Amino acid sequence: MLKPFVYIQNLNLSYRNKAVLKDLYWEVNVCQNWVLWGESGSGKTSLAKAIAGLIPSQGSIEINYDAQSKLPAEVLFVESWYQFKNLEGVANFYYQQRYTSLQANDTLTVHAELVAYGKEKGLHFDLVEPILEALGFATFASSQLIELSSGEHKKLQLVKALWLKPQLLIIDQPYTGLDKASRKNLNTLLDQITAEGVQLILICNDLEFPESIDSFAEIIDGQIASSFSREIGDLPPEIHKRKIPAFLKESPIYSSTDMVTMVDVNISYGEKQVLKNINWEVKAGEKWLLQGPNGSGKSTLLSLINGDHPQSYANELYLFGNRRGTGESIWDIKQHIGLISPEFHWYFDATSTVWKCIASGFYDTVGLFQQLPYSKRAQVDELIEYFGLTENKNELLTALPLGKQRLVLLARTIIKNPELLILDEPCQGLDQQQTRYFNQLVDELCSNGMTLIYVGHFESQLPTCIEKRILLEKGEVKVVETILESV
Amino acid sequence: MANYFNTLPLREKLNQLGVCDFMDSSEFLDGVSALKGKKLVIVGCGAQGLNQGLNLRDSGLDVSYTLRKEAIEGKRDSWKNATENNFTVGTYEELIPNADVVINLTPDKQHTAVVNAIMPLMKEGATLLYSHGFNIVEEGMQIRKDLTVIMVAPKCPGSEVRAEYVRGFGVPTLIAVHPENDPQGKGLAQAKAYCAGTGGHRAGVLKSSFVAEVKSDLMGEQTILCGLLQTGSILSFDKMVEKGIDAGYASKLVQYGVEVITEALKQGGITAMMDRLSNVAKIKAFEISEELKDIMRPLFQKHQDDIMSGEFSRTMMEDWANGDKNLLKWRAETGETAFEKTPAGDVKIGEQEYFDNYTLMVAFVRAGVELAFETMVQAGIKPESAYYESLHETPLIANTIARKKLFEMNRVISDTAEYGCYLFDQACKPLLGDFMKKVDTDLVGKNFNEGKDGAVDNRKLIDINEAIRSHEVEQIGATLRKAMTAMKAIKTA
Repeated sequence: MLKPFVYIQNLNLSYRNKAVLKDLYWEVNVCQNWVLWGESGSGKTSLAKAIAGLIPSQGSIEINYDAQSKLPAEVLFVESWYQFKNLEGVANFYYQQRYTSLQANDTLTVHAELVAYGKEKGLHFDLVEPILEALGFATFASSQLIELSSGEHKKLQLVKALWLKPQLLIIDQPYTGLDKASRKNLNTLLDQITAEGVQLILICNDLEFPESIDSFAEIIDGQIASSFSREIGDLPPEIHKRKIPAFLKESPIYSSTDMVTMVDVNISYGEKQVLKNINWEVKAGEKWLLQGPNGSGKSTLLSLINGDHPQSYANELYLFGNRRGTGESIWDIKQHIGLISPEFHWYFDATSTVWKCIASGFYDTVGLFQQLPYSKRAQVDELIEYFGLTENKNELLTALPLGKQRLVLLARTIIKNPELLILDEPCQGLDQQQTRYFNQLVDELCSNGMTLIYVGHFESQLPTCIEKRILLEKGEVKVVETILESV
Repeated sequence: MANYFNTLPLREKLNQLGVCDFMDSSEFLDGVSALKGKKLVIVGCGAQGLNQGLNLRDSGLDVSYTLRKEAIEGKRDSWKNATENNFTVGTYEELIPNADVVINLTPDKQHTAVVNAIMPLMKEGATLLYSHGFNIVEEGMQIRKDLTVIMVAPKCPGSEVRAEYVRGFGVPTLIAVHPENDPQGKGLAQAKAYCAGTGGHRAGVLKSSFVAEVKSDLMGEQTILCGLLQTGSILSFDKMVEKGIDAGYASKLVQYGVEVITEALKQGGITAMMDRLSNVAKIKAFEISEELKDIMRPLFQKHQDDIMSGEFSRTMMEDWANGDKNLLKWRAETGETAFEKTPAGDVKIGEQEYFDNYTLMVAFVRAGVELAFETMVQAGIKPESAYYESLHETPLIANTIARKKLFEMNRVISDTAEYGCYLFDQACKPLLGDFMKKVDTDLVGKNFNEGKDGAVDNRKLIDINEAIRSHEVEQIGATLRKAMTAMKAIKTA
């Protein structure tokens, strides 16, 4: 009898003394392609890492590679979150540095990175070019890794995987940070490589996966529950019954009716222009959706508002009623703003507990460096209760599943009831249910008159309060419109 | 120009060496206001220059850069750093005359030429700021009497100065006012405001003097910080290769080991570092570090004596005049060492393994930190200063070795530190010849605990723990670390 390609028996795995996988049994047969789903924290990522041999586990994981196949006999795991390194191999340098000119030469270019990868794995460079084209990534060859946005980093990881064609490819949240066109092309490419013999395990809770997917499994209580249909149980999201803290019901105190005014804003890195003649006004209380393909300049635009971009001093930019560069500090600016972005999350202090992380939002610092007065401590506790995080409050942020980490960061952004909430792809990597829950919270929180700028790719997954939209393409404003019907 | 320190009477020498005051955060309540609206012009735009300038501007201050004409016309890196970050850049003639504060962030070697060029252009009553006092103290530069002369010295590489600022914190900083140049009495207020502008006020500020800063800084960097880390790394690597340990493993252990080991030092001093060892290993590390202290004490004392007498700076300046002959020669030799040329192997070394298999480095670090601290304090430097220049900075330098070995360390530190480091290394290696002959792979390369049952004599262990914990560097360290909250844990490789 043909042995299963992947044969897992009695697999046990604990994370921080909590059993995640319990006597798990799973067969992945030859030629099967799976989608694996489960609730946040159910152990999907842990299982994938165990199969790829990246983390230790107890039990047996047998992988029976096809000795006849030309494809490399290996398991490649593409992480949901990718951390890149600079030339010296130091990960985790702080995200704002991507905007500062001196640091830019410290990382490899995309081209150099791919050449190095090809060399390491013995791959022909000719073969990567069609993949770069299909994912719309060819134009990034000369970009420094540090200049890439989150979506572009994800693409780079996918490019490598599609190029290598390992016998088993496991992708955690394949669509994270990808725009519509890229998602479609990715599915086509995945179908192509499965036709060549690659087997897939995709970890995702979304509904759009490649045609070649034929098997479905869910992790429930640390075990595999197989199902045989594409129907993912569309569970009603947990209805929010907790009472919103009183301090968040009050309307924010606005310092000006003009939150952001940009007049012919231009940003270039050397020869490369990333923003061209941007004109944009955000008034107090407005709810904006900021959209654009990967690399269109969204993150750069937001970094101008948040005070992070050094080139904001050379542009005509007004924030909260004041011209930028007239003696204000970046802390004066950040005080008005609550912000989440994928980059911010990547580089967030790994040693912070949930409580301290949220409390640090009062001071806009990464890490808590001050003693909180009683009234503020009480607010932190109240907000933690509202977000349902009380039992996690002394845990390390990084020890929580991704969905909860994002909730913690959302709580951090609103702890001071800011005038302007900037949510840059806040649901990246979250499943549909988590996304819906998250956006319901955003709607509820913004109902006090808070100003919102929200970046999201999936049209179906947005807060309902959105009323205006700005679309960027190649660094230019393509559309500014008022949305009459809820998106 | 005469060595400034040597012109002072003994009373004043001791007085200035002894300036040392850990400042309370309430001293910084005025933030940057003493510099608000003033024109700050930075001379030089390297790592310190650019990163300090970015922080000051983000704190709401008016910052521009002045560079030599050739640097501007040649569009050199310093010009690119400044212009690409949208700063105004101009020649000395264009910017210095309007400057309220001129900040000299050029390399030590250029100070005399730079200050001679800018001083005549500075307006009456302006301020000249240094981040290292070598030019004033060792070269005896005389500054116009109407000018205020201050120092603000962040105790970290430039990239850290920036990274800590953007996360809302800062790096520990030393500030000083030159007693010969404070005609209006505004020096301290401006130094504090500048320090607040770079974020340093959040991480602990030491009020020092030009003299104390120079004499302690030179001592620290030459001995424990750079000198001994270099000597220890090279000797450890060579020993492992000699004894047949895989060269790739040895290279990785040495490159990253010192960072992992000194991370414990950063969090909890020598005590925490030694506590990471098993009891048997701790006793051994204690004993050999005592032996190392005895062997190296005369060398540490010689370095301190030469620094105090001005002999060190005299010989280094001779080398400057000689086109850096010695510096370049020693730099080339370091690049040729086997450690430098052997890439780190693709092996996984666990965090605890770095302690268990590199006990020798733990002993080196303890010996070096304690010796440097003791020697400085004996020479009249206050324990707080001595702590900063020994224990506090060791993990920061270790971090540069983890990045690209000794090449990177010597690239990041100043030329002055690099010169002193080689000087120490040249003398220290032969001194340790006999000692190293006795060292085997249980101390470096293999797990010290292997084949031992772990039994120890209680009394002996208690005495050793007591000796480690009661050392003055541990007492002062505990107080200062408490003030410097929220130290970031370095990620281990």
